[in-house]
Amino acid sequence: MPAIKKLWYVTAKDLLIVAKDRGAWMTLLVTPLVVIVVVSFALSPIYKGGSLHATMLVTNHDAGSLGKQLTDALAASPNITIQPASDRESQTLKQSGSSSGLSLVIPKNFSARVQAGERVQLQVYEDPNSTTSAPFLKGMIDGAVNRFSAVEVAAKVAVAEAVEQNRQADASAVASQASAAASAQMQNQPIQTREQPAGGVKTLNTFDIETPGFAVMFLLFGVMIGAEGLLEERDKGTMGRLMVAPVSRASILGGKLFAQFIVSVIQITLLFAVGHFAFSMDTGSSLAGLALMLVATAFTATSFGLLLAALTKTRRQASSIGILAILLMSALGGSWWPLDIVPSFMRKLGHLSMNAWALDGIKGIIIQGQGLADILPQAAVLFAYGSVCFLIGLKMFKVRAA
Amino acid sequence: MSIVQADSLVKKYGGIAAVDGVSFSIEKGQIFGLLGPNGAGKTTTISILSTFLEPTGGEAAVDGLSVRRQAGKVREIIGFVPQEIALYPTLTALQNLKFYGKMYGLGGALLDERCRDVLELVELWERRHDNIEKFSGGMKRRINLGAGLLHGPRFLLLDEPTVGVDPQSREHIFDTIFKIRDNGATILYTSHYMEEVELLCDHIAIMDRGKVIASGTLKELLKMLGEGGVIELEVAPPGCPAGLKEKIQGQQEVTATRSEDNKLFVSSSNSARSLPPVLKVLEQSGCQISSLELYAPSLEKLFIQLTGKELRE
Ligand SMILES: Nc1ncnc2c1ncn2[C@@H]1O[C@H](COP(=O)(O)OP(=O)(O)OP(=O)(O)O)[C@@H](O)[C@H]1O
Ligand SMILES: [Mg+2]
Repeated sequence: MPAIKKLWYVTAKDLLIVAKDRGAWMTLLVTPLVVIVVVSFALSPIYKGGSLHATMLVTNHDAGSLGKQLTDALAASPNITIQPASDRESQTLKQSGSSSGLSLVIPKNFSARVQAGERVQLQVYEDPNSTTSAPFLKGMIDGAVNRFSAVEVAAKVAVAEAVEQNRQADASAVASQASAAASAQMQNQPIQTREQPAGGVKTLNTFDIETPGFAVMFLLFGVMIGAEGLLEERDKGTMGRLMVAPVSRASILGGKLFAQFIVSVIQITLLFAVGHFAFSMDTGSSLAGLALMLVATAFTATSFGLLLAALTKTRRQASSIGILAILLMSALGGSWWPLDIVPSFMRKLGHLSMNAWALDGIKGIIIQGQGLADILPQAAVLFAYGSVCFLIGLKMFKVRAA
Repeated sequence: MSIVQADSLVKKYGGIAAVDGVSFSIEKGQIFGLLGPNGAGKTTTISILSTFLEPTGGEAAVDGLSVRRQAGKVREIIGFVPQEIALYPTLTALQNLKFYGKMYGLGGALLDERCRDVLELVELWERRHDNIEKFSGGMKRRINLGAGLLHGPRFLLLDEPTVGVDPQSREHIFDTIFKIRDNGATILYTSHYMEEVELLCDHIAIMDRGKVIASGTLKELLKMLGEGGVIELEVAPPGCPAGLKEKIQGQQEVTATRSEDNKLFVSSSNSARSLPPVLKVLEQSGCQISSLELYAPSLEKLFIQLTGKELRE
């Protein structure tokens, strides 16, 4: 019992020190918020319609109505200008001197073949060097085409049902009737491409993507400062003083780590709260799931901090090695850009970092709308990850400077 | 009755012995001084006694408790004041003391009372709500000392508690130490200032290169120098006639001579007996003496005699 009490006194002392330290709050909260806001606004065109204006070349060989409908649907987006183009222009992405990120070629008999239920391929040419507009434009085509497929499937189901119900009916007549009805419906509801960027499920707010990424990175910077504090306490003699008081090593270290954990939970929660209340970041539908992810992330980060302090000898070392490790983990682990856009081996490599697991779970909830049960695997991996760091760190940390 | 017993303590770092077979015992109620130059091994010795470091060899006991095997119990009865300021700079004096008090199991009204006592003892009660970082060096030292007194330790280990403080603060600290001693505590005091241990300590051990090279009361130690001392003469005209130093060197009990501008230093194992013949030689050489001083034996001299080097470099 006295051991737990003393552990808590150590925690309370550390929390008091952090509470009085304005510089710490600057690093823990203000700096990350500035970065999140700047990056979110700067990158918003990539993830949503925003202010991106792009030109798409379209070559339409279709004589029927669907080719035109597809083109019109794309043109309905305020961010896209559709330019009718020749085959050659579409293939080279060049038209009268200006270039475009993407082009679309609609084949001959597109309408007829779609209505006959055939698989039809649309030819898309993209600029391999374009990192922003091409993926975005492709997403819009995907979105429009998905709508088409949905209409066709609906038509086919309608046909099947009609055939079931009325054996006497002329199947092909029903089919064309249904298809026509579906097409008509589509015309009444022009494709809302803005709702489906990159073929996604919902409108993305850039803050949904950037807040978790940078929050996790700055959480790691927070624990790095904690690790430096741990080494400083050891070297400045305050820990020596505690070591010769009737307090166990477990109470001293445990108290300090518990304080760091609490600070981390507060930090990441506040960053998410500001993201949500000030910038409408989505929090998904499972607050419990999100809370579990944030706690797991804070725990793992705290353990990482202990490991960092254990593996380095001095404050300077902790900060130079820490910065390198954190930047590397953040880049690999998806703090700076979503891992969906990196090659699959890089994605696998990225999952060596805690960032990737934390972001998979957090984004699962706030972007993909997953629930508590869906993110349990990520939370479990994080806890395991954190426990391993914790145990190694606890074993290796030397309370006496070498 | 001895309360602290150190027995052939050894502490090695790599192959180098920072403490190399140190033994001593401290009587209850004594102020025991550990005097030595930088790197002598004072902090290492005190760290072993305070249970912070495990000795590589040897054994030590505080109040019959082994610092190796009963470290937990030793920690409850000792107070330790490290050489560096081991305080949290952004916390106030009171916050620091309360925290350390809690680490010793104090709480509630008793903790408040002890904090007040200690702050009044070091005369910083008025400044209790100021952050440590705003204190002067001397005030920090006093709080640093106070933090080791909260739980009323029976054995207090002070590692150079006056480094870098002005004479007034130092006097303050000395007063405090005497008060603690008068309350019945035993004190181990390390320093590289011989005047400090001469003034404070009942018993002194001189350390150099990890070894105790002399130990005893101040009187006993000075006796080792015999009745010796230094005669310092200022002569006119400046410079000594050739052969003068050699002539003086030959006189009774004179051990060394050294000249510097118009000053002449004569070391003797018995200055009282050396003085008349030395004066006679000077008179015969036609030197006028403009001033004369006799220096009594001191720990400084003893240290030089024992190690061939000065205590402070
Ligand atoms: N952790 C360590 N690793 C290696 N050598 C050490 C260590 N601590 C002390 N030493 C060495 O042991 C010797 C004794 O050091 P110690 O600190 O005990 O001296 P000291 O008498 O307290 O000196 P000072 O007056 O400067 O405080 C020194 O030579 C020092 O370099
Ligand atoms: Mg020392």
